[in-house]
Amino acid sequence: MRHPPLSLLAVSSDPLSWTILLPVIAGGLAVWYLLPAARARRRTYGFLLAVLALAGLAGFLLRGFGDQMPETVEAVLFFGFSGLAVVFAALMITVRNPARSALAFVVVVLSTCGLFLLLAAPFLAAATTVIYAGAIIVTFLFVIMLSQQEGPSNANLRTREPELATAAGFVLLATLMVGLQRVHDWRSVDAAIAHAGTLARAEKIDPDYLSPRSKADVDQMSTDPPPLTPKAAAFIAEMKDALARVRLAAPRSTDDKRLTDHKTVQEVEHAIEFGLPTAFKDPDGEGVHTACQTIADGLTRLKHLRNQAGSSDVTVSEHGVVRPIGHPDEPRQLPAANVSAIGRTLFSDHLLAVELAGTLLLIATVGAIAIAQRREVRA
Amino acid sequence: MIPASHYLTVGAILFALGVIGFLSRRNLIVMFLSAELMLQGVAINLVAFSRHHGNLHGQVFTLFVIAVAACEAGVALALFLMLYRRKRSLDVSLWQALREPGMPETTDTEPMPPVKPEEPLPKLQPAGVEPEREEEREYV
Repeated sequence: MRHPPLSLLAVSSDPLSWTILLPVIAGGLAVWYLLPAARARRRTYGFLLAVLALAGLAGFLLRGFGDQMPETVEAVLFFGFSGLAVVFAALMITVRNPARSALAFVVVVLSTCGLFLLLAAPFLAAATTVIYAGAIIVTFLFVIMLSQQEGPSNANLRTREPELATAAGFVLLATLMVGLQRVHDWRSVDAAIAHAGTLARAEKIDPDYLSPRSKADVDQMSTDPPPLTPKAAAFIAEMKDALARVRLAAPRSTDDKRLTDHKTVQEVEHAIEFGLPTAFKDPDGEGVHTACQTIADGLTRLKHLRNQAGSSDVTVSEHGVVRPIGHPDEPRQLPAANVSAIGRTLFSDHLLAVELAGTLLLIATVGAIAIAQRREVRA
Repeated sequence: MIPASHYLTVGAILFALGVIGFLSRRNLIVMFLSAELMLQGVAINLVAFSRHHGNLHGQVFTLFVIAVAACEAGVALALFLMLYRRKRSLDVSLWQALREPGMPETTDTEPMPPVKPEEPLPKLQPAGVEPEREEEREYV
């Protein structure tokens, strides 16, 4: 069966996305302004812009994906840790003294470890703290100490192409944010489901939806169907968009296990393509209730299927079927015993990769010693 | 539970800031820290997907990322020490002889800010009575 092109790009109701543009532009200007330069700048404007960008970012996280944020301690911790991480990452690339950069990076790593804890990865949080914030940073501070320079230097006070670099970074960021919003924002589907539900439950169909039948048509017993009203056409288009948005998840295989989901897509499609136009052209709106109920139920079901994390055998792209890497009867929840579960995964599914990583560490050690040793100049 | 999209946004921001730092800063150490910052953004992404899918493969990948980053740090810091010994500076532009053939040389036009003269150390006035010194006698 040939499917219509997936219209991921046609779902945004806000084409300019000010929730994205405001933090990206303000943040880009702030970073560009605060980057080191030979001519000293006043830092106040940069900090003001940075505060504006952070406020815009918080707004994007709170509202950009629809109203999904739970009002819990977890949300407070998430905003605390991610705010710290972003602020200190910006400081890391803008301060002039490399030792301060290294210390700012420590704060970024520790905040990231907080985010890991929120994501149910306590072993990784501990490992990252020990390896990054401990070992690697101490090595960095040694190198900085060994290569300390007096006074202002080209290395710390100048930048290469700050305008182009900032533009490249923030264009990349804006693209990523737009993509995330397009994929994770379900507001248009929710609105379509609500719309269909309202119509299904309405006692009397709004006459704006029903095609008017002129008296002449009735007299002549014309068989030509009257055209759809603009409101009805818009409604049908909205339903089509919503279906295209959720059908990404619907399995296409015809095996018995998943046949019901396949059926749902076909039912909704049939209701949109045939049921709705016929019903809207009917003078009394007969059949509108049933069709709308079918659509609302089907869309809700498909959306649930799409959001169901880790549902196996789900088609997510035109070309491929996502298959679970591990064991198919694996539980969907993360196990509470994090360390032992990681160990089991490491030494069962990723054994070769573990060996390769060990070999890599060995080679890197040899390489570091070979590079750093002083060579005697031969006479 | 906070949706995965929020964590992905934070990871994207860290990655973008790392890109900017790597492209624009000239101190070798800060460039390398920016690369590590990009890896942190990727690590957040992987762990968030691990939580989203309910299996541990994302966390395992993050472990490998940490291992590779540790190797990278060891080799790169050794390399920086060697480069510093040659040129007595960590400025990456000093090595621009390695650039592609045909590219123009970049020169710094803007003058450096004037170096502030260091304030002289304060001199203390000697106070009190100077004690009498005994002449050293020779006993040899």
